Amino acid sequence: EIKENDISDIIEELRMELLESDVSLEVTDKILEDLKTNLIGNKVSRSEDLEQLIKKSLKKSLNEILQYNKIDSNLVDNIKKSPKPFIIVFFGVNGVGKTTTIAKFVYLLKKNGLNVIIAAADTFRAAAQEQLAVHAKKLEVPLVKGKYGGDPASVAYDAIQSAKSRGIDVVLIDTAGRMNTDKDLTEELKRIIRIAKPNFRILVLDSLAGNDALEQARYFEDAVGYDAVILTKVDADAKGGIVLSLAYELKKPVIYLGIGQDYENLISFDPSWFLDRLFS
Amino acid sequence: MLDNIKDAVRKFLSGSSSYEQAVDEFIKDLQKALISSDVNVKLVFSLSNKIKERLKKEKPPSSLERREWFIKIVYDELSSLFGGDKQPDVVPDKIPYVIMLVGVQGSGKTTTAGKLAYFYKKKGFKVALVGADVYRPAALDQLIQLGDLIKVPVYGEQGNYDAVGIAKRGVEKFLSEKYEIIIVDTAGRHGYGEETKLLEEMKNIYDALKPDEVTLVIDASIGQKAFDLASRFNQASKVGSIIITKMDGTAKGGGALSAVAATGAIIKFIGTGEKIEELEVFNPRRFVARILGM
Ligand SMILES: Nc1nc2c(ncn2[C@@H]2O[C@H](COP(=O)(O)OP(=O)(O)OP(=O)(O)O)[C@@H](O)[C@H]2O)c(=O)[nH]1
Ligand SMILES: Nc1nc2c(ncn2[C@@H]2O[C@H](COP(=O)(O)OP(=O)(O)OP(=O)(O)O)[C@@H](O)[C@H]2O)c(=O)[nH]1
Ligand SMILES: [K+]
Ligand SMILES: [Mg+2]
Ligand SMILES: [Mg+2]
Repeated sequence: EIKENDISDIIEELRMELLESDVSLEVTDKILEDLKTNLIGNKVSRSEDLEQLIKKSLKKSLNEILQYNKIDSNLVDNIKKSPKPFIIVFFGVNGVGKTTTIAKFVYLLKKNGLNVIIAAADTFRAAAQEQLAVHAKKLEVPLVKGKYGGDPASVAYDAIQSAKSRGIDVVLIDTAGRMNTDKDLTEELKRIIRIAKPNFRILVLDSLAGNDALEQARYFEDAVGYDAVILTKVDADAKGGIVLSLAYELKKPVIYLGIGQDYENLISFDPSWFLDRLFS
Repeated sequence: MLDNIKDAVRKFLSGSSSYEQAVDEFIKDLQKALISSDVNVKLVFSLSNKIKERLKKEKPPSSLERREWFIKIVYDELSSLFGGDKQPDVVPDKIPYVIMLVGVQGSGKTTTAGKLAYFYKKKGFKVALVGADVYRPAALDQLIQLGDLIKVPVYGEQGNYDAVGIAKRGVEKFLSEKYEIIIVDTAGRHGYGEETKLLEEMKNIYDALKPDEVTLVIDASIGQKAFDLASRFNQASKVGSIIITKMDGTAKGGGALSAVAATGAIIKFIGTGEKIEELEVFNPRRFVARILGM
């Protein structure tokens, strides 16, 4: 029979591993509490290695939690089935990878036979327009640009009108990075969403971020809400503990991971892939 | 969550438990606060052990002054990481002075290059910018737009992919034109896996320029990876200073503390917004307060 004392060393070791993977303190505590309750009092046959048993049990419960990260249906299939144009808006704090992710998304959608238009609704950051223009040219898709200092919502609106008149399947709206402390920019985002009426909202998070990622996720959920998260820069050897925190605290799906700067570096999220990484 | 350092101090002072027990309790709360602020977990333990030793060895003064004494020890130990309580000297000790900015993708290098140029220009220096990011689409346009805004010349070669050559030619050109501070913007990189060659490229730029200062630009929101990342950068090209960006957000910036521990570099500036003037000289006291949630 397993007693608290038998497992405390291993629990502390796991605590370190989870914390070092950027899983938040609260979530780490909850996960390990659950694990303890599950284990204590259980009988373990002598042959079975306690440490192995504990790790197996943890993986199993994490895998259950991570099911919250799965989305019910494939987004691309969803788009194919939906009335056109299908409108997606991307947002998040500064520099997480929104614009690059949009370019990767164009590549993915085109591969699936869909045609796309991009709305460059970041009219603020230096060369935000030019950055998307380079991508649009390379990917051979139309781009609706805005003037610096201009109204981003009207850029989104123009792109949607253009999609309607040209029979384009998908509109991808790029927005300026905005901090979760900026009230004006939050209002601006709300306005873009009110006018564009997107079918799908994506929050982009940086996998290198620590505890603040959950803060961002909570903020954008309260401010505008979103359907799914895309996690970028996973190739930077980041463990991305935010995935667990998202599942545990917000029950939000993660649909794709950015794993590099090239167009094909966008992969579907898979809980078991994430778990293997966490324990690698 | 981080208000609990204050609570911890209060608990500690009002507690009926023994002094030893009270210290242990406090240390636990301190560790939690630091970990929640994204300070590297191992660093948290080594720091808190030191603090614990001091708390147990040194005698607390009369109960009246205890609170100040207590906080002071925590402050002391944290700020000794930055080489003390004083603000950094940001005026270059020689002219001309070449600064090379490095960092992870999206950390804020290009924006910070513009901010630094503006900061030194206002101080009366003759400043120039060199754009050596040949990968990110429109990276050079971004730097040129910032340069135009503050009327600082920008060197770059559109369509050329030789970052080392561009950096070298840019710096040489501005040196020959008697510019005093030359700031070189480089591409974002992390250097893991497929990106090892990008780290080599950075080293090659460093070897070609022999800059007076390599500045690591680090996002306030970075988590546990900060320590290892900063070590890698430091190995490829010795990091002399750190700038923490996006301090206007809710992130505490503990990752930057890890980067300091990993490199021995000093923090010189913080970025507090997207605008060109939103750069402040680093203030150790305020930063420690933020990390502790006080
Ligand atoms: N290694 C790596 N780099 C990425 C990934 N996704 C984006 N990046 C890089 O991160 C940097 C910032 O990306 P952007 O797409 O400009 O980010 P953004 O969120 O649009 O930035 P703002 O619009 O300024 O807020 C660029 O250098 C990208 O190449 C990824 O999955 N892996
Ligand atoms: N809120 C805020 N945003 C910042 C700050 N510094 C930079 N940014 C923003 O962060 C984003 C990324 O900045 P860049 O300067 O493009 O970052 P970078 O490191 O040059 O990116 P790469 O060249 O792609 O690696 C932009 O949206 C900037 O406006 C800051 O201090 N506060
Ligand atoms: K970031
Ligand atoms: Mg962008
Ligand atoms: Mg840049």
